[in-house]
Amino acid sequence: MNRALRQQQIRVAYLFMLPGLIFFLTFQIYPLIKAFQISLYRWEIMPGQASQFLGLANYLRAFQDPIFWLAMRNTALYTLVTVPGQMVLAMVVALALNRLVWGRVFFRTVYYLPVITSWVVVSLLFKFLFNSQAGLINFVLKDLLHLTPNYIPWLQNPGTALIAIMTLGIWKGIGWSMVIFLAALQGIPVELHEAAAIDGASRWQRFWYVTLPIMRPTLVFVLVMLTIGGFNVFIPVYLITGGEPMHRTETILTYMYNEAFNFLDFGYGAALSYLLAAIIFVLSFLQIRFLRRPVEF
Amino acid sequence: MNARKAFLLLIVLVVLALVVIACGPAATPTPQVIKETVVVTQVVEKPGEKVVETKIVEVEKVVTPTPQPEGPVTIAFWHAYNPVETEMLTKKVIPAFEEKYPNIKVEAQAVPYNEFRKKLLTAIAGGTAPDLIRSDIIWVPELADMGALVALDELMPDFDEYKDQVFPGPLSTNYWKGHYYGLPLDTNTRILMWNKEMYEAAGITEPPTTIDEFLAVCEKIKSLGEDKYCFADGGTYGWAVLPWIWSFGGSLTDPDMTTASGYVNSPATVAAYEFLKELLDKGYLHPGILGGGVDTSGGYAQDQIANLLEGPWMPAIFEAQYPDKEIQWALMPAGDGGSISVVGGEDIVMFQQSQHKEAAAEFIRFMLSPEVQLMMADVGQVPVRMDVTDEAVQKQPYFALFFEQLKTAKARLPHPNWPKIEDLLTSTGQAILRGEKGAQEALDELAPKIDSLLATD
Repeated sequence: MNRALRQQQIRVAYLFMLPGLIFFLTFQIYPLIKAFQISLYRWEIMPGQASQFLGLANYLRAFQDPIFWLAMRNTALYTLVTVPGQMVLAMVVALALNRLVWGRVFFRTVYYLPVITSWVVVSLLFKFLFNSQAGLINFVLKDLLHLTPNYIPWLQNPGTALIAIMTLGIWKGIGWSMVIFLAALQGIPVELHEAAAIDGASRWQRFWYVTLPIMRPTLVFVLVMLTIGGFNVFIPVYLITGGEPMHRTETILTYMYNEAFNFLDFGYGAALSYLLAAIIFVLSFLQIRFLRRPVEF
Repeated sequence: MNARKAFLLLIVLVVLALVVIACGPAATPTPQVIKETVVVTQVVEKPGEKVVETKIVEVEKVVTPTPQPEGPVTIAFWHAYNPVETEMLTKKVIPAFEEKYPNIKVEAQAVPYNEFRKKLLTAIAGGTAPDLIRSDIIWVPELADMGALVALDELMPDFDEYKDQVFPGPLSTNYWKGHYYGLPLDTNTRILMWNKEMYEAAGITEPPTTIDEFLAVCEKIKSLGEDKYCFADGGTYGWAVLPWIWSFGGSLTDPDMTTASGYVNSPATVAAYEFLKELLDKGYLHPGILGGGVDTSGGYAQDQIANLLEGPWMPAIFEAQYPDKEIQWALMPAGDGGSISVVGGEDIVMFQQSQHKEAAAEFIRFMLSPEVQLMMADVGQVPVRMDVTDEAVQKQPYFALFFEQLKTAKARLPHPNWPKIEDLLTSTGQAILRGEKGAQEALDELAPKIDSLLATD
């Protein structure tokens, strides 16, 4: 009797899971498998036309494609600059806000605003800010402060264009890490700081030996999430430079998008996105494996 | 755990976009393989003699059968006309058509140009392509090669009547592997738009007719000031550089599009790029060509840019934005290859997935009739029919020079791989203008890359 009841309960549980499961299978698992299939073909988009099976050729092609390596380098560079950039600045802001008695909610909201604004809007905004002729940045540098004799063609040169894109990435991301850091800071027992202070630890020592170790799980979490986000950079690059000039500012996702949707090379595009997924998977695994440790008091 | 979840979500997001396109439902009309007997006349060349042979060959054709229309049918027509042109289409042209053919309803849908190709490809992959589109001329070979288009010269028995009536340059953009997959609908080209006020300030009375004269003009314009430019263009894509390449006597490939080696790196093509580099180095050419955007119309209107290569849509734009500035036109300056500009414009093409091919063909005929061509000329569309040019010029006097230029204008490579070829061409142009590579070296490197793209099929 008891067993039959339990059986029935399990059945009901599955029934309740069914809608979500169907959704998950249709919109998450099926596309995953289909994309992998596409990546093995020279994929024809016309219904009824046979696609040519290429095996791993699309993957091998990426390794011999100089633009792929350029995109790889830019994506890695973007991550290497924007992840520490966001984390350090977010920590500074979080520490400052944590000490504020008045106006903490106000400033927290202000710093969080960039996070909830649309990527498209702020990307276009940055494009105008960094415009070579009429941009605000050039106006301030040349006409107001006279720091440069000529307007800087920010978006025409790969290096300066990447600076603009990475500045946007850091600016937009600070708020997200800040809120998480702030929550973690407020969770640190005040007794620990008091004890350290009594033992004669300076402010810096308390931060380094008390605050940071306790925040370790939070830091690792933010690091992993930001790294994933960094490798997935797409909208700002697509809208600000489109990978130009000469594909020098291309990132993996903009290159994938261009190959698939502009050149209709869906097989290669799918292979590129699987390569990106593999890289992110390995990186996230390594980060968690080697950085996450239980907090020791 | 969080990271893993996020990772899963990430992959799903990455691939979802890809798959939305790929996994649509299959096309409703079922293509059938039909065996057909065709009489082929061949000229066989044997050593010393020419024999004309007539053969009966059985060929296999994939056709999608169209049911005969019984009741009223509706055909879908996608276009990217601007608002003024769209009003003419929906308020006058289509009502006139529906009056003439009460059994056919035309559902016109305006699709913004920038989204047109993606939206169309999504529809094709999902089996829901419209019956007809007004296609940018550069998309036609790609769509034809994909097998998406109906060969109009097979479908329309009266195709030759239209073929012989339209300008050959725009017509050529519909040709792919032995068939015509569309008909030109409107055309345009780029001619020299020169700035009278700046010319007068620099003491020049006449627009240049040759490239040497153009250089002389530039020298004088530069003396007006450091921030005055002789010429500006938005980048190094085909639309921008090809008029110079062709007018210098260069080209991208041989006429049959089989090889680029010896053409894209020929002395004439190299000279064209070196000319552009010289313009840039001397400050004649606005650095906006290196990217980052340049407001060419604004620069012209505010007397900062003395020359542009522009199309017939400019008068309407200036009327709206800079009503006080008058536009002057002249032909593309001639070089060793003559005065040769680039053909733009749109073709009308029909999709295999169309269920109402006969009705759609009627609409094509109607859009190419002299009456409709002249109606659209009222809103600035340059007609493609040679027999209405005089009347069109009476309506829009500035069309005259465009018709003149169109006589020699050439189309960008009508090849399905043009988007990739143009991508390489654009990067190569950037490398040359930025001085990273010499023109000869860069074009020598480019040639074999284009060669392999020409061969890919």
